[in-house]
Amino acid sequence: MSLDLIEPILFGLLAVMILGAGLGVVLADRITTSALLMAFTFLNMAGMFVLLGAETIAAFQVLIYVGAITVLILYGVMFTPQAPRSYGLFFQKQTPLGALIAALAALPVMAVAFAFRDSGRLPARGGDLVPIATSVFKDFAFPFEVASVLLLAAMIGAIVLVRRDEE
Amino acid sequence: MTTLVPLGAFIALSAALFFIGFAGVLVRRNAVVILMCVELMLNAANLAFVAFSRRLGLLDERGSVFVVFVFVVAAAEVAVGLAIVLALYRNRPTVDVDEVKEMRG
Amino acid sequence: MVPGPFGLDPTFWAVLRLVISVALVLFLILNGALLLIYLERKILAVMQDRIGPYHVGPFGLLQTFADALKLIAKEDFRAGQTDRAFFLAAPALVFSPMLASFVVIPFGPGIVGADLSIGLLYLATLGSMGVLGIVIAGWASNNKYSLVGGVRSAGQLISYEVPGILSLVTGVLVAGSLSMVAITEGQPGPLVNFFIIPFAFVTYFIAALAETNRTPFDLPEAESELVAGYLTEYSGMRWGTMLALTEYGNVTIVCGIMATLWFGGWQGPGIDSGPITGPLLGVLWFTLKTYAFILVFMWIRATLPRMRIDQLMSFCWKVLIPATLLNLAVTAVLLLAFPGSLVPVAIANWVMVALFMLGLPMLQQRRLRRLRARLRDRAPGMAAAG
Repeated sequence: MSLDLIEPILFGLLAVMILGAGLGVVLADRITTSALLMAFTFLNMAGMFVLLGAETIAAFQVLIYVGAITVLILYGVMFTPQAPRSYGLFFQKQTPLGALIAALAALPVMAVAFAFRDSGRLPARGGDLVPIATSVFKDFAFPFEVASVLLLAAMIGAIVLVRRDEE
Repeated sequence: MTTLVPLGAFIALSAALFFIGFAGVLVRRNAVVILMCVELMLNAANLAFVAFSRRLGLLDERGSVFVVFVFVVAAAEVAVGLAIVLALYRNRPTVDVDEVKEMRG
Repeated sequence: MVPGPFGLDPTFWAVLRLVISVALVLFLILNGALLLIYLERKILAVMQDRIGPYHVGPFGLLQTFADALKLIAKEDFRAGQTDRAFFLAAPALVFSPMLASFVVIPFGPGIVGADLSIGLLYLATLGSMGVLGIVIAGWASNNKYSLVGGVRSAGQLISYEVPGILSLVTGVLVAGSLSMVAITEGQPGPLVNFFIIPFAFVTYFIAALAETNRTPFDLPEAESELVAGYLTEYSGMRWGTMLALTEYGNVTIVCGIMATLWFGGWQGPGIDSGPITGPLLGVLWFTLKTYAFILVFMWIRATLPRMRIDQLMSFCWKVLIPATLLNLAVTAVLLLAFPGSLVPVAIANWVMVALFMLGLPMLQQRRLRRLRARLRDRAPGMAAAG
């Protein structure tokens, strides 16, 4: 086995784990298992980003998704305990119709997806920190400011929503 | 030189994960699990953006820049979404979307 | 691809190199933790006017070894009805990010696991991954007190990440790169970054104390609090891994970051003396600087009392975060206004350090005076007594 095939092998491994964990999130019989499989998906997604050569985005993915969003979702799971119920009651009444629509929408999209091809010029691996930073702070400075206002609004909104009405 | 994985494979994976998340939103009852599936969809979109940005030779990495904004929006959305779910749970102790049908109370 | 010694196949040699380096790092961490536990107990003992361990081995040097053997030999207790898989996975989830952080720290010239161009970002990322393991540990123990302890600890860690990362960013603004090797090489000579951005160092030091759960922010692991917080149901080597190894590993990493970013890492006299003595001296300087900071951590533990959870959260959000944001803004503006000269940044930073050091006690005095006045108005009898 030469190292030439290392990228397809890694891609296959990561893809299987991502799809498996994704299915696990939807179908797991306990909510905590769903939450942790979601974190597992995020980690494998970061591996995908590294495979593509986008190291900075991979670091951000782990920092934001695994480090913060997973913890938030775990808090949400912990503070909303529900009475134990049978597995059939985990799914909404519209499940057959919903699953059918999802499957019907997925098939043409995946058929088209396989047709994309790379262009000839590919950027160097791992060289994406400086271009991203330059773009964010120069060309996209206004969306950057709007994003910070959005975060501020979300923070204030979340705090106000969970305040208890004390006198 | 290592063999490259074709771009189509990444996009197909992204589409598959997106539709898994999409099915999850339509199918699960627990509101927190629905939020988790929305995060899966956002991740799939991020993968597509980064794959296109790195593989179509766009040297200013604009796809990756958009991914940074998607991270911001996803974080804000999870925070507010969970705040809403917790406030709902406090009013009536359920997060089951089939039971929360009327906006009274 | 590099062929290995004795003509080994390059692929095999690459994999073997990886395995050997991970084994070496593990060896380094385990022995480092052993040494640090012993050092801590001896130093605390000296400062508290007692002797510390002296039975086992000369000067008690084998004490930690004996403790580790005892922990391994303990009964593998698992409380019933816990989420079995999560309970077992939590120590691994807490230990792995710490292990992975050692790969970017430059121990000497040319001695670094991987020269990542995003080295500091990688370290910040791994620091935030450790929170997940703690939340899972608290949740999987099926114990109200563990849950509350885990959530509190996670809240503390998440809050103090913000001033920590902001201080690192200020350091990066001056150093010019996120790569740890480039930061070290940008500080030749005695004028290290500490003289330019001391305020960032001070705020990072405080944030690092909180991130590694060291006194005065060690509420999660305090012996007198909440039984033992998220560690209540863990015993034996699970406890040893989660508490001792991870904490001392994290302390080593954080002190390594401080040594690299503000004090020049492996730079020091005699670096370019020769192909063998140069790197050895570099490792010596790095180790001395890191251990100096570790000793200061231990000194602080022996001296300061611990803060309550609401005090430490309000300190973070109301004092540290505004201070680091202000520092970042001022440094960035001054670097843009006076390109090429670091003197304005240095002046501004030293002024901010002075204001911070003098201002905090003054603020505290004023708060204390206001609290006493309020107490006097409400209950004159109580105020007369207290």
